[in-house]
Amino acid sequence: MAATTTTPQASHTRVNSQLALRLLQYTLLIVFALICLVPLFWVLSSSLKNTREIAMNAFGPPVVFRWENYVEAWTVGRFSRYFNNSVIVTVPIVLASVFFSALAGYGLARFPLPGGKVVFYLFLLGLMVPFQSIMIPLFYLLRDVGFLGTYWAMIVPSVALGLPFGIFFMRAFFLRQPQELAEAAEIDGAGEWNVFWNIMLPLALPGLATLAVFQFMGAWNSFLLPLIYMQKEELRPLILGLMFFRSRYTQNIPLTMAGAVIAMLPIVLMYITFQRKFIQGMTAGAVKG
Amino acid sequence: MAITPIGGLAPRTRATSSARQRRRARAGYLFIAPALLLYLVFFIYPFFVSVYYSFLDWPGAGPQRFVGLENYQRLFSDRILFQALGNNLIWVVIGTIAPLVLGLLLGALLWRGVRGMVVFRTIYFLPVILSEVVIAIIWNWIYHPLFGALNQVLRAVGLGEIARGWLGDPQTALMALLVTAIWAYFGFCFVVIMAGLQDINLDLVEAATIDGANGWQRFRFVLLPELRHVVTMLTALTLIGGFNVFGIVFVMTQGGPGTATQVIATYTYRTAFQESNIGYGATLSLVMTAITLAASYAFIRLRERGEE
Repeated sequence: MAATTTTPQASHTRVNSQLALRLLQYTLLIVFALICLVPLFWVLSSSLKNTREIAMNAFGPPVVFRWENYVEAWTVGRFSRYFNNSVIVTVPIVLASVFFSALAGYGLARFPLPGGKVVFYLFLLGLMVPFQSIMIPLFYLLRDVGFLGTYWAMIVPSVALGLPFGIFFMRAFFLRQPQELAEAAEIDGAGEWNVFWNIMLPLALPGLATLAVFQFMGAWNSFLLPLIYMQKEELRPLILGLMFFRSRYTQNIPLTMAGAVIAMLPIVLMYITFQRKFIQGMTAGAVKG
Repeated sequence: MAITPIGGLAPRTRATSSARQRRRARAGYLFIAPALLLYLVFFIYPFFVSVYYSFLDWPGAGPQRFVGLENYQRLFSDRILFQALGNNLIWVVIGTIAPLVLGLLLGALLWRGVRGMVVFRTIYFLPVILSEVVIAIIWNWIYHPLFGALNQVLRAVGLGEIARGWLGDPQTALMALLVTAIWAYFGFCFVVIMAGLQDINLDLVEAATIDGANGWQRFRFVLLPELRHVVTMLTALTLIGGFNVFGIVFVMTQGGPGTATQVIATYTYRTAFQESNIGYGATLSLVMTAITLAASYAFIRLRERGEE
């Protein structure tokens, strides 16, 4: 209708302004994409040069790919050790925090609890106060129970710190699920644990996966916590190892960059694979509240 | 509850239903128990110990001397604390406004979606998932006085006299850190805003279009009000994040040069773990907690009012 009444000239300007908008959109999108990617490209390219090449040609891609930087970082820089440490602490942190969160979230969502409100607000407090509020006494507590100097010094507090968000996330997830299935199973005589383990938990798998990805990221990138509680060199996780490596070898930019690539590679690969889960988990607090 | 009374309940039924209630409550608490126990021991208990420490003069070993409110009095004459809080305030203002404006700007242009959106979204969110230490290393490298990309670009375009050690100069260090933080965070704002835009009822936009609103007017008067909720949420998150910022500052400048980029989190860490002043460190950590709680509370109230 509109097309028949507009003159050819007017429709031309319409098309032109559409085109101009598209052009503007893509220009901006690409500029911001470059802002995000170019620094990462520099890290990658610097990690494959030697110090002299960086001094002469800081920007360009490496002329010779010096993979030996990675070998050196992995062996001499002890990044293999740090990498193992990260895996050793991250796996139990993710498993335990997701499992305990699912249990408690289910408990809060499905059962009429006397004093349930108090428990709820207690966990809500944990969502609002910063880690700093417990950081100092936790050091002495971990020392007194004998965790300091072991992997437990990172695993146990990380699980505890991950609980408030995990419980809220899982509680909301279980509240959204249809209750009929659980009720039917209960009438058939299934125990509470059976209902949870065989029916409700498998249904919650998408939520569990999102939470697991979120907790993995938190544990892998965790920095202040191991900085305080994992002071032994041989216990350092990757991120902390990277920081100390950098301050020890300030002049050795290629090795530091190789270390940075080693530290971010697992998380970037995970992110590219589970992109939707990452974004869901990270923005869960902001989008749904 | 699953059981609904039909007419007059016989006393026996009522008794078994309350027994069932009790049984279910016990089951519920069994589900919560592991998390609650862990949380009480490793979160709630140390929180109260922090309060206790704040009344002490204690270097972390040896006898603990009770000093009453002395640590709290010291807050009011602590110039480093004032400087740190001032830096936090700058951080909160710029670090909130800049990524939000960037996110909204991109959102305004792209709200109807363009081809390849998923790819761009993936790229913008990439810095968000990186560790603060990695981000700090990347940007230390960009700001490197000799080889750093920033100075090289400046020299290349003939602005060589501006080139400097951006992190070593007290005039520019805080801003340099902020740019880093904005780089790392704007993708988060963008993704949340785009998600918010997706939820908006398109009929509203149609109606505005028919009424003759142009693109900007549609965004300003139709979409932006609908985004109010998302923007409040992001503001709150960035605000709280701005008061708690630690990693980027700690790794890039350690609060220096001097105390130019000291923020409350790095100052607390330094006081407690580098100067072994546990009592005053705990007091500072509680100041941080109080600010964060106040911000969270104000934000929750604001949201409640917005939802009425």
